[in-house]
Order: sequence, then C-alpha cells, then structure tokens
Amino acid sequence: MTWRRYAYLVIGAALVAPYVTLAGFVWQALEGGVGAAATWAVAIAVCCVALPIATGMLAPVRALEIAAARLLLNVEVGDAETAGGDASWPTRWRSAAWFVAHLVVGGVIGTLTVVLPPAVIAACLAPFASGEVQLGQLDPTIPGGPGSAWIVPLALLSPVALVYLAAGASALMARAAPRLLGPSPAERLAALERQAVRLAERNRLARELHDSVGHALGIVTVQAGAAGRVLDSDPGFARQALTDIETSAREGLRDLDHVLGLLRDEAPSRAPTPTLADLHRLVGSTRSAGIDLTAELTGPIDEVPQAVSREAYRIVQESLTNAARRAGRSPVSLTLNVGAEDLELELTNPLDASQPQGGGGGRGLNGIKERVISLRGQISAGPEAGRWRIAVRLPLHPRP
Amino acid sequence: MKLGVLLVDDEPLIRSGLRAIINAEPDLTVIAEAENGAAVTPLARRLRPDVVLMDVRMPVVDGIEATRRLIANLDDPPRVLVLTTFENDDYVLDALRAGAQGFLLKRATPDEVIRAIRLLAAGDSLLFPAAIRELAARHAPAEAPAGGLDHAGLTDREADILRLIAQGLTNAEIAAQLTVSPETVKTHVAHVLTKLGARDRTQAVIRAYQTGFITPS
Repeated sequence: MTWRRYAYLVIGAALVAPYVTLAGFVWQALEGGVGAAATWAVAIAVCCVALPIATGMLAPVRALEIAAARLLLNVEVGDAETAGGDASWPTRWRSAAWFVAHLVVGGVIGTLTVVLPPAVIAACLAPFASGEVQLGQLDPTIPGGPGSAWIVPLALLSPVALVYLAAGASALMARAAPRLLGPSPAERLAALERQAVRLAERNRLARELHDSVGHALGIVTVQAGAAGRVLDSDPGFARQALTDIETSAREGLRDLDHVLGLLRDEAPSRAPTPTLADLHRLVGSTRSAGIDLTAELTGPIDEVPQAVSREAYRIVQESLTNAARRAGRSPVSLTLNVGAEDLELELTNPLDASQPQGGGGGRGLNGIKERVISLRGQISAGPEAGRWRIAVRLPLHPRP
Repeated sequence: MKLGVLLVDDEPLIRSGLRAIINAEPDLTVIAEAENGAAVTPLARRLRPDVVLMDVRMPVVDGIEATRRLIANLDDPPRVLVLTTFENDDYVLDALRAGAQGFLLKRATPDEVIRAIRLLAAGDSLLFPAAIRELAARHAPAEAPAGGLDHAGLTDREADILRLIAQGLTNAEIAAQLTVSPETVKTHVAHVLTKLGARDRTQAVIRAYQTGFITPS
C-alpha cells in the first residue's frame, strides 16, 4: 500500500514536468534581455501557478484525480454526482488546490528520488577519494579522504528519511483527499435530498400497489376460494361472489394501470413531470375514457410556481382516478382557480349509490392528503348535497 | 361443540368470503364480525370466541392495537390469527409481538385457512414455523446480543425443546424425538414459557429468534 501511495506521488512529479519545461522555455526566451525582472516573474508565475490551477479546475482532471486517489491512496472519496452538469466554483477551487498540492508534493518527492541515489553513492565513496567530491548532481562539494568519513552514516540514513517523508506526505494527502475531492456539504445535502425524494416516491408507489392491487387481489382470492367451497351447498353465494370478483378484479386492473402510469412517469428518462400546463391533455384523456367531465379552469395557470403546479396536477389526476373508480361514467365536475395567494380546486361527482361508503373516501385520498399537507395547504373531502366533493386550497407562495 | 370464530376485517367482501369458508366446515362457526379493532375486546368478552381472525391494517383501531387490548383486558383471551395481504408486511411481526399466535396470508387456500384455525384452537404447536422463521430472518438483529437467552437460565434440555418448538413440533412429536413421556415435555414447555416470560409457543420462538438464541438461517 505504501508503494501505491509512493506511485501516486511520482505521478505528481511526472505531471509537474510539462509546467517546469514550459517555464524553462519562457526563462530562456526572456533571458535574451527583453523586459524587466517583473515581466519574468509574471511569466514564471503564469507557467507554474496559474496554469496548474486552471488545469486542476477541469472536470476530467478532477475525475482522474478522484479515480487515482481511490486506487492509489486507498481513500474513500464520496461521489459528488456532478457528472451530468458542471461542478460549482467552490468545488473547482478545491480540486485545483488538490491538483497543485499533488504537483508540489509529487515534484519534491520525485526530485529527491532522482537526485538522492547518486549523491548517496558519491558520499559513501568520498572517504576513499582524493580532491573535491561532487555529490551526484548536487552543487556542494566535499573534500575527499578519510576526514569525510562522517558523511557516510548521514548519506545512508537519507534514503530512510526520504521514505518517511514520502509516507508522511502521502498520509497527509490521503487525509485531505475527502475534503478536497469529495462532495461539498451543499452537494452532499443535495444528493441526500434527491435520495430522500426517490425513496419517498418508491414508498408511495409501494403503498399504492399494496392498497389498491393487493386489496383487490385479496378479495378475489378469498371470494373465489369461498365460492368454490360452497358452490353446491350455497349457489346463491357463489353467484354473488362471481359478481364481486369481477368488480374487484376490474378495480384492481384500473388501479394497476394508474400505478404503472406513475412508474412510467417517473422512469429515469427524466421526462418532465406534468404540470398544470398539461391539464388540458388530462381532461381530454379522461373524457375520451368515457367520463362525463366538465372542467372550468380560471386564473393565470401558467404563472403557478413549478412545485405547486406539479403537485396540483397530481392532485387533479388522483382525484379524477378516484372519481372514475367511484362513479364510473356519471358526471364529474372540476373547477380550478388561480388567485393572487392561493390555488383552489374542487372536484365533485355523484355518490356511488350501490356502495354506500359513509365517510370512507377512496384509497387515493391518502395520497392526495399527503401532497396537500406537504404544500401546507388545506383539504376537505366528503359527501355534500348528494355529491362527493373534494376541495383543496394550496398557497402559491411559501409563508413563514 | 363448534369452535367459535370472530372475524375482524374492514373489507366486507373479505369477511363474507371467510365466513362462507368457515361456516362450510361442520366443526367451525363464525359467531361475530367486526369492521375494525375497536369492538373486538367487548365482543370477545361477551361471546368468548376460540379464535379471532384479525386483519392487520384497519381504520380506527388496527389489528396490532386490537390484539394488545385483547391480551391485556381478558383473563383467558382467545387465540389471535393475523390476516395479511403480504408476507413482508412489517406489521405482522408487530402483531405477533403484541400477542397474536400466528399469521395467515389472504392468498391462503380455504384448506389452509381451516387448518390454521383448527391448529390454533388446539394450541399445541407453532403455526407455520417456516413462515415465522422467514419473518424472523428478515428482522433478525444484525448482531445477536451475546447469550441473549443465557440469562433466562434455560437448562440444556429446555433449550433443545425450544429448538424443536421452533420447528413446529407438537408435544407428542417432541416426546417421541427425545424419547421421554409427553407429560415430561409438557412440564418442560411450561418451564420454557415461564423462563422466557412468554405467553405461548409463538412468543417464545419469536424471542428465541430475536435474541439470536436460534439463528433463522
């Protein structure tokens, strides 16, 4: 593992080479006598500071550094989930800082790795040499002869020191990696929120399947089992059971259709979620399904905030599904009005005479209530003047 | 003397189907119905059913709360068979913990419904041991508390008997397997229940799984 980390640092040394080379060219060009010392400084700064920072901000470089850090430094770096879009500026600055640190630390360790071995060999031979001894490519020289024997243990210790230095530097980098390469708190929060929304949506669909299709299939199974049991002894029951089975199965299929529709809506294709702007289409398709629907839509519907508009669409959709389930083809009336502060919608349909359900109210009602509560709206639902009425009021703007 | 059954489900069509299945049996009869858990305790006190068939999810008072009330308020409560649409319903385990003796899927065949009611009324074996094992496996503690049941002070023989109970064996079958008399087994079972603070076999087995005394794998 230590060797992997060492390799990571050496990669940094390799990456630093182009910048150093470029700085060398600039240096040579300017040494001809053009410009003042200040110009030089600017040119060198551009090559050695600004260019690496700019490189570090590039998304592919960030991705490469994350991959290399995971593989070679063996650290956990969380996903920022910015693959689709551009990273935020703070994130870019963090990855630039990381890139520069990688270059600097890698450059230092890499240079020492190259320079040290010849210097050590030269130092070890110095006591046996005569005249001045140069330590590899390093500038200082030491006098040859037995008087220089003190340098031998020092020279032999220096590679050990280098190993410790590299280990320490890479450990520091491994510790800094999650902070510089990982997602920022804001990105983590956003990712968590996305996950929470996905989970809530999945739970809602599961509950919907449980409540609707599971319910219907439970009835079908029990009734069919009973009918088979008493077919001879109680044919009347068996006949009634067949009718109930048919009704339940049909309702179950319709609910399944609805849930599958939701699943298709929420497919990862990220098709835009319908809003009130799509309401006309919903009204049209409801009518073509054979439901006598009168719809009255007033107010600036296009100006409703997106979040409210999406939820309001869903509420209308679920209310219509409920109405269809309860009342079949009987007339359904929908009014929707967008005011200055609130959005009001009301849906009424005749009570189902064949199934007097007291204050029951349909299984889809729970879903509607949840949506209304999440928007801090108000809802009332129940029989009124011989019709089933559901009325919802949603605030258009969040109130403190 | 017929076994009396109390049906509790908010769906009238489930009740009518179960009633037809149960009443078609010569030895079983539905003595009352309720559409949620609120009326269960008073009905049970008045009519003394042998078995309550109880839906888990109901408005007003659900099956878990109704089971709890039944156990708490009646000296000799009827046995509770919980009805559920889905096996992986988290509420089922809650209902069993609350004191239900077994659970029955609504997709069970009429024969299974009948068999479950009779088994439960007889009360000398665990209902659907495999289903309870699966249920416990799904909810098993990630790390079994070390020696969770050691403190209960079960003897080796009692521990063996608890394992056989978990497999769904009756007292007679356990006696045959351990080559002891059924009377001895009965005494041991009573000791196991007392030491575990369990009302019945179901409770004891659930505790055994939950504490890691028996691993459900």
